[in-house]
Amino acid sequence: MDLLIWPDWPLAPGALFPVAVALVLTALVGEAGGRFGLPRVSGYALAGLVLGPLVLGWFDTNDLAGHRLVIDFTIALVLFELGIRLDLRWLAANRWVVASSAGEIALTFALTFGALWAVGTGAGVALAVAAIAVGTSPVILMHVTNELRASGQTTDRLLALCAINVAVSVILLKLLVGALHGVHSGWQLALLHPLYLLLGSALAGAVIAAAYLGLRRLVDPATEQGLVAMIALLLAAIALLSALRLPTALAPLFAGALIKWRDRRPHLWPQQFGSFGGVLVIVAFMLAGAAVTAGELFAGAGIGLLTVLARAAGKLGGAMAFGPPSGLDLRKSLALGVGLMPLSVLALLQAEDVRLLYPEFGARLLPIVIAMTVVLGLLGPIATRRALIRVRETRRGETS
Amino acid sequence: MSLENFASSRALSLGVELELQLVSTHDYDLVASAEDLLRVMARKDVPGEVKPEMTCSMIEVSTGICNDYASVAAELESLRAALTDAARKLNIGICGGGTHAFQDWSERRIFDKPRFHYLSDLYGYLAKQFTVFGQHVHIGCPGPDAALYLLHGMSRYIPHLIALSASSPYVQGKDTGFQSARLNSVFAFPLSGRAPFVETWQDFEAYFRKMSDTGVVQSMKDFYWDIRPKPEYGTIEVRVMDTPLTVGRAAAIAAYIQSIARYLMIERPIRLSEDDYLVYTFNRFQACRFGFAGTYVHPETHEHCTIAEEIEASFARIEQHAIELGCDGALGELLRQVHEGRNDAAWLRERHTGGESLPELVMDQCARWMGGEAM
Repeated sequence: MDLLIWPDWPLAPGALFPVAVALVLTALVGEAGGRFGLPRVSGYALAGLVLGPLVLGWFDTNDLAGHRLVIDFTIALVLFELGIRLDLRWLAANRWVVASSAGEIALTFALTFGALWAVGTGAGVALAVAAIAVGTSPVILMHVTNELRASGQTTDRLLALCAINVAVSVILLKLLVGALHGVHSGWQLALLHPLYLLLGSALAGAVIAAAYLGLRRLVDPATEQGLVAMIALLLAAIALLSALRLPTALAPLFAGALIKWRDRRPHLWPQQFGSFGGVLVIVAFMLAGAAVTAGELFAGAGIGLLTVLARAAGKLGGAMAFGPPSGLDLRKSLALGVGLMPLSVLALLQAEDVRLLYPEFGARLLPIVIAMTVVLGLLGPIATRRALIRVRETRRGETS
Repeated sequence: MSLENFASSRALSLGVELELQLVSTHDYDLVASAEDLLRVMARKDVPGEVKPEMTCSMIEVSTGICNDYASVAAELESLRAALTDAARKLNIGICGGGTHAFQDWSERRIFDKPRFHYLSDLYGYLAKQFTVFGQHVHIGCPGPDAALYLLHGMSRYIPHLIALSASSPYVQGKDTGFQSARLNSVFAFPLSGRAPFVETWQDFEAYFRKMSDTGVVQSMKDFYWDIRPKPEYGTIEVRVMDTPLTVGRAAAIAAYIQSIARYLMIERPIRLSEDDYLVYTFNRFQACRFGFAGTYVHPETHEHCTIAEEIEASFARIEQHAIELGCDGALGELLRQVHEGRNDAAWLRERHTGGESLPELVMDQCARWMGGEAM
């Protein structure tokens, strides 16, 4: 008679159970990759693909939308940390680093646009893919460099160039979406919306930076309670940014750079926001696989591969052309170009966001971006890792 | 292999070498950027030389052959300015100090050069542990026998030099309690310590031949003595100092050594004896551990006093020579700091015990070295 004290049969463990199993599987694939000398993020990305609609179908695009906040938060954390690595004083002292960033971005944009235009995807899609291709995955770069405890000239530039190209990529795509507004709703919107997004992000970044510096006076971010305070600050920031409909990527990045500029002290906390950040990264990659369906992947495969090649040429060309005058030798310049390859969750979300606003346009854009992120999410981390080992900038693992 | 002939050099000429730390401006840990910094420096016109060292996070700079304090100070200053400029371009920090406060020795990389790989294979982890940073001062000697007299005479001043230059209280993230913990890393090497007590170059050659016949050494480079003769330059090389936190202090310490050398060479004030070395390691330990407050046992009279008192007494003895050499101003400042018990180790401890984290401390060290602050 008392039904509530005995378990139902068959067991109904609720939605949490499969997520937990998926999380363990993802972590294990990452661990297995690590045993073979592969970066763990490659393993996470692979697990995400297997769990997603491509193979097992445990997650689908709805899960991606439902857990969007988790992924946004992960990326915001990583970009905040990356922003702190972007020392504006250094860019002022060595203009060639700025030049290599500008060169790498311009060349990547031009070559990918040119390649897509040549095969006839249409100017709009070509521009959107080119804008997304400009960025490098910040999550992968931070994860791989932390895993190897990399430090040195190549690592510093890799992170600085990534911070800049992510910001430029997000802005370019917003401008393009602005142009789409122009087609659909008139030029005022086309002008005002990107302006709102940019100025709003800059302002929000300044507010986050001020709040962080204020908090730092009260608690040390290297302690547990300090870490909690910093995470809470970023959570609040994400909540407000979402409410303001501002991109959640730009403001944390700006905030990080502003903080390092205002206060040159080391801003250190347990690496990658501690194990908390590590768990989030696994979750993000596990969910990112949900966006990849076989149909879209195969539809975009041909053009996606072409874009990957054009993008690689752009990144390598920019790094090789401007590396030597900025103080790198050719070997490290090459490593820098190779290290910039990864593309992943952020690119997928950028394309998803376009699709939410303009479904028809998004449907043409997404397959190409999916194909690119599958290739560069799996192989990109391997490229970055090999490059850093090659130039002997790792402090963990293969040191001699 | 036999010992090369003792080259001739101008008596009391002076050369200074400084081993420096390269750190990341993100976490202020050591960073493997020697190769990059050397590449940028190769394009600059600077006096002296910039060279690689055992691990990739250190470089060695050296002045050319100088006559006096003023030229040493000027050359070190222009090396500092050029290095600072190059470091800013590469986003790295450069600082003095005998040890890096919190580096993990196992993360160091051996600089890619045959001799360093050879040493690394021979000494194993000692080679990576040897990521410590010292100041070496060469003094020109009129002849080989005079060089040996100077070497043994200068041995009495080792505690003075350690206390004046001490800047390595922290090792691997911990306060060692020492003022110069760097020298503990040097003592780990089998051929460290002091030179044998021989007074003529002939006897020294005989000693070297015997050692070389044992197969233990191939060249003078294999000895890690506190002071060693450098026949190819015609100098003796004093190697016990930690790299000071400023080039100003490095120049002043070099001037102090030059003044002692002039005093020893001209006045010949002591009769050398093997028994001088009975108190040598005790005095050296006291200086490393306690700095100015350490005990100094006089090698002849066996009287005890503090190292600070003995340093002050030494300044009185060499004052006239310092005036002749034109470095009495710099030595006056050094003496003032001895009175106040101030050295670089005290500066570092003051900050860390005052609540500054070790990465922030390294940041301040960089600001002090790169900014060219006064000693």
